[in-house]
Amino acid sequence: MKGYINKIIENSFIDGPGNRMAIFLQGCNMGCLYCHNPETQRMCINCGRCLEVCSQGALSIKEGKINYNKQKCIGCDRCLEVCSEFSSPKYFEMQSDELVKIILDNEIFLDGITFSGGECTLQTDFIVDVVEKVKQKSNLTAFIDTNGLINENDLNRLISCVDGFMMDVKAIDDNTHRFLTGVSNETVLKNLKLLAKTDLLYEVRYVLVEGYNDSVEQVKYLAELIKNLNDYTRLVLIPFRPLGVKTYFKNLPLYNRQKYDIIYDEIYKVLKDRAIKKD
Amino acid sequence: MNVFEIISNTNIDYKEKRHLLALAAENTLSYVNLSVKTEKHLKKGILCDIFEGHAPYRPRYILPDYEKYIKNGSEYLGIKPPKDMYEVVNALMVIYQYVPSITGYPVYVGQLDYILENFLDTVSEGEARNLIKMLLINIEKTLPDAFVHMNIGPKETRAGRIILEIERELKKAVPNISLKYSKEETPLDFAKFAAEVALEIGKPYFVNHEEIKNLLGENYGIASCYNTLKIGGGSYTLVRLNLKKASQEAKDYRDFIDNVLPNVVDSLCEVINARAKFIVEEAKFFETSFLAKEGLIDINNFTSMAGIFGLYECIETLKGLKLGHDEEALKYGEEILDKIKEVIDSNEGYGCFGTDGKIGFHAQSGIDSDIDVTAGVRIKIGNEPSIYNQIKTEGRLHKYFNTGVSDIYVFDKTARQNVDGVMKIIDAAMKSGIKVFALNTSDSELIRITGYLVKRSDIEKYNRGEVLREDTVKLGAESIKNNKTLDRRVREVE
Ligand code: SF4
Ligand code: SF4
Repeated sequence: MKGYINKIIENSFIDGPGNRMAIFLQGCNMGCLYCHNPETQRMCINCGRCLEVCSQGALSIKEGKINYNKQKCIGCDRCLEVCSEFSSPKYFEMQSDELVKIILDNEIFLDGITFSGGECTLQTDFIVDVVEKVKQKSNLTAFIDTNGLINENDLNRLISCVDGFMMDVKAIDDNTHRFLTGVSNETVLKNLKLLAKTDLLYEVRYVLVEGYNDSVEQVKYLAELIKNLNDYTRLVLIPFRPLGVKTYFKNLPLYNRQKYDIIYDEIYKVLKDRAIKKD
Repeated sequence: MNVFEIISNTNIDYKEKRHLLALAAENTLSYVNLSVKTEKHLKKGILCDIFEGHAPYRPRYILPDYEKYIKNGSEYLGIKPPKDMYEVVNALMVIYQYVPSITGYPVYVGQLDYILENFLDTVSEGEARNLIKMLLINIEKTLPDAFVHMNIGPKETRAGRIILEIERELKKAVPNISLKYSKEETPLDFAKFAAEVALEIGKPYFVNHEEIKNLLGENYGIASCYNTLKIGGGSYTLVRLNLKKASQEAKDYRDFIDNVLPNVVDSLCEVINARAKFIVEEAKFFETSFLAKEGLIDINNFTSMAGIFGLYECIETLKGLKLGHDEEALKYGEEILDKIKEVIDSNEGYGCFGTDGKIGFHAQSGIDSDIDVTAGVRIKIGNEPSIYNQIKTEGRLHKYFNTGVSDIYVFDKTARQNVDGVMKIIDAAMKSGIKVFALNTSDSELIRITGYLVKRSDIEKYNRGEVLREDTVKLGAESIKNNKTLDRRVREVE
């Protein structure tokens, strides 16, 4: 079975517990204004625009399909800048068996693997296939990094085969959520509650965007919600950063640190050590 | 530099001048006796004695048995066996001034955690901490050379923890520190603390205790850059073979293996043995040193070291393959090392009683003036493959070396938030056969050059022409220019 992969980071210390291989899948079902890797959002429509800006001849078009030559690429990311489709010429197809082999070849170095994206759960079939095969042959754990917008069937299948979820909550207020992401948070909050009742909700992540979702009241509401749902899930508070952002949000400044600390202190009161700081 | 140039140089201080003048005096003698063929190899730079001097009068590296010294005291020094923390710290500070080496500074200052632990309860906790701090500051100030090396572990001790805590606070390049690490003997919590400190200040090294113990026995120390040698012993000399230059002498790969290598490695052993013999028989080192008379060193624990470097370029020259990126390149690498080891072992090592009569094998980390040639059996800076492939490749190459081999792995700052993840990699590296694992972060104030640390701010001072206390800063600054040290692949995570 094949999957669409934007990139594989072999050694990640920030995608779950321990040292993990992070696999970023292509495609998303939200369109967040502050997305840091917008090139993972959509599939390529082979419009050819990126061809024109590549100074290295790393891109070509064959039978109407974009072809990417990694050897020639110098990583300037000009191609990503001009892509108006929120896509990338660099993502690739990979068979699950091939990915499984890469993972198992490095088993002794890893605590586990993490699927991220994009919204990785859009490729649940692929994930389940890879995870089942990896688990047959190793003790590696599998984590899912998700925006929470997962249909019931996929969610249940994932719950039965992975070891943890890291879920973004973009906003508590539905209007804000719609504004920031383009979709309602109804399913997200429903899934949050459902996952919190399993032992799999490793952490919830919340990005503070100044003037949009950063009222103390909203963030505290989320902290209380998590506190009442279970006794283990961590809440990671992340300051907005303009790095990589493609929409007009790229002009917003780095989130104010003082404000960050005030909000953090508030949620610390609620969640104690389960409240995690990020710089 | 001639004598006048040394004396009038404004870039070096008094002590360094005295050291260079001694070397200049030594070099007025002719070089130890060598065959014509071997002299040619030295002249061409295929072999290099790393400026050890023409007529060596002390071993390059000495690892005195400090535990014995602390137990018995020293008649020569007039030091009685210490009874409390004050006396032990004083005794150590005294003996360090009397340990000869190639740099003039002791390259090994002992297994300090174990030594100090026994005296910890003779004073209050606060006093113990102050005394250890004083000792560490004293070492840094009086032995300003980043090859001065301290060992801790594998077991956790209170003293070991205090040493790491204070070093973390002092943030100095001196001393170099190694943690003998063993998954069986080192508590996870202590190992994690050491890793945390290493991510901040570039030390300690993680030394594969199980592997080295199997080679040298329990009683070994890590000295200078990362040389593993027996305690109470050391190494007379270190002469190195430039594999890149040697490969340029060969018609092809076969010629290299069958003719060039046996020829130059024989010469390598010849230089080493001639130098070792000179130290023992002409300079009569063991007859004059109080360390020997009082049993703090014993010729039976000594050896010599045959170093090699430039394996990466050697394979590139002969086969056009890139080590770390080609399985085939690795196979050639193994064949080359097999051959060198075979030739070394076919020679008798003069006075190499510490390593079964054979010369020790060492992956030499390069020196400041090396240009375009990679240290030891490492992968060229900037060309490192994925960290896992780097470790897997080098793990297979480390197995050949009994007297020192290491590599440096640079992480970005996210590693500091996930020491569990870092430990996973260290454990995997140990399992893969890596003997000495150095970790550094890309934004660290202390930069690991090849086998020693320098402060970023000192490099800047040196480049501005200021005279500095630490002799290794000069080496570091030159090495950064010549070896692109700062271009090491950072293990980035986004
Ligand atoms: S990556 Fe973007 S710009 Fe390039 S062809 Fe695909 S859709 Fe067009
Ligand atoms: S990142 Fe690579 S493919 Fe994209 S424009 Fe630059 S060189 Fe071309």
